Amino acid sequence: MIKSVGVVGAGTMGSGIAKVAAFAGLEVTLVDVSPDLLKSAMAKIKADVRSGVEKGKITATEGTEALAAIHVRKSISDLGNVDFVVEAAVEDLTVKKEIFSRLDAIVAPEVVLSSNTSSLSITAIASLTKSPESVVGLHFFNPATVMKLVEVVRGKQTSDQTVKTTCDLAAKMKKVPVVCRDTPGFIVNRIARPFYGEALRLLGEGVATVEEIDRIVKLEGGFKMGPFELMDLIGIDVNYAVTKSVYEQFFQEPRFRPHPIQRQMVEAGTLGRKTKKGFYIYK
Amino acid sequence: MIVIPFKRVIILGDSPLVEEYASLCHSKGFEVAVKLNAEFGHVKLAKGFKKIAKPTRSADIALELTNLSLATKKANLLALDATLPQGIPVISSSVAVTALEQTSWISHPERLVGIGALPSLISNSLIELAPSFVTSPEALKRAKEFIVAMGKTPAVVKDSIGLVLPRILCTLANEACFALGEGVASVNDIDTAMKLGTNYPWGPIKWAEKIGFRHVRAVMESLHAHFGEDRYRLSPVLRNAAIQNRIAGIS
Repeated sequence: MIKSVGVVGAGTMGSGIAKVAAFAGLEVTLVDVSPDLLKSAMAKIKADVRSGVEKGKITATEGTEALAAIHVRKSISDLGNVDFVVEAAVEDLTVKKEIFSRLDAIVAPEVVLSSNTSSLSITAIASLTKSPESVVGLHFFNPATVMKLVEVVRGKQTSDQTVKTTCDLAAKMKKVPVVCRDTPGFIVNRIARPFYGEALRLLGEGVATVEEIDRIVKLEGGFKMGPFELMDLIGIDVNYAVTKSVYEQFFQEPRFRPHPIQRQMVEAGTLGRKTKKGFYIYK
Repeated sequence: MIVIPFKRVIILGDSPLVEEYASLCHSKGFEVAVKLNAEFGHVKLAKGFKKIAKPTRSADIALELTNLSLATKKANLLALDATLPQGIPVISSSVAVTALEQTSWISHPERLVGIGALPSLISNSLIELAPSFVTSPEALKRAKEFIVAMGKTPAVVKDSIGLVLPRILCTLANEACFALGEGVASVNDIDTAMKLGTNYPWGPIKWAEKIGFRHVRAVMESLHAHFGEDRYRLSPVLRNAAIQNRIAGIS
């Protein structure tokens, strides 16, 4: 039975995951090397809780209890006694391998070490630990507090027990777990590629304009957002990076080939909503 | 602007596209004559439709909705073209063969307008039309009026295999089938992930089942042939699903 969770990394995803875990009744230890990040993460969580109480979504008691369940620490060595670890540090294999080998040295072999990576190989992350069967992917979607889905990623050596423990924990956190093999892009980031890729090709071939493609996709297909609106929201640079990563990891499989329009948008610095200019203009 | 009303409509083609369009036309008070392709000859049609063995001259507009067989589509278009008066437009599904290629089969190419017809999509509010470059402005205008008369919004796009939405949907379903075939996840986990992770209205595999795996295969095979790119090759899982028009493991 999982009662306590360690979260490594207090960025957007890490703080969101810490909050979700605390509201699921778990004791949470949030670790980051940066005191500033820890401070802003807690400030953000407190503000969210306050607004949740004001809107009547949670009671004041629930909010106070959840906040009291989150402990901030500066070092990974403070995670020696947790039942489960979620790593949500930067997407850099060297950094993640370092974190996992340090975790491996301090936790019991049966403690599950999970990574929130969206693009790196769980199998590679697990390779430096003594118990690769206890390493698993646990991919939350942004914002972690809102999105119901988590991808539970089974690495080459991950055990069935580790997958089960992780799925059970996800369910306790009121998430819907789906299990997938450790393959590039997992499920969502892979299967969604044609939504953007074909839209970009349709645009490039002059079949329809940005506005028309979005309108058709929404009104004829029932999608909530068109591909260009969505790329602007995600960030055209982020979307391009994901596409390139999946393409390269699949050894240049043509189904995932990025489109020159994406690259040019990135070169121009028109990255979507965050730069006020992407496929649309924002004021 | 005065629109000459549509009274009589002829609809030919594949099931269940013919039934879907016939039901909608019927609900708008049009007199509908239908002919299902022989391979679907035993499908029961709801009351209110006149079944015809071949096209008659008395129609204000005709729809040809075959995606699954080019030979059948060609025969249907030739029969319509030979029977209908010259000014009567023929709206023909162009998701698996371009409108332009279809114009090469008939004597009055200017009357042919492509339409993005795939099963199940008619319940939504927009329908794509794709004229070829030889389509007359009058035929396109009449086709748009017909879509409006059916209570839908027309969108005109360039003539291209799969038009806009069918091309995006079919490539999504194809990718989902590749992932399924590689054992990445189960049918249900793939569909759940795409609904919850990206907010799609349907999971891509369930959606392909609703459309019909045969129709999805027809679009993919045409994209592959048209562009000559590996990008559009058919997933073996989808190829198999098209045989019995269903997939193992779907709930």
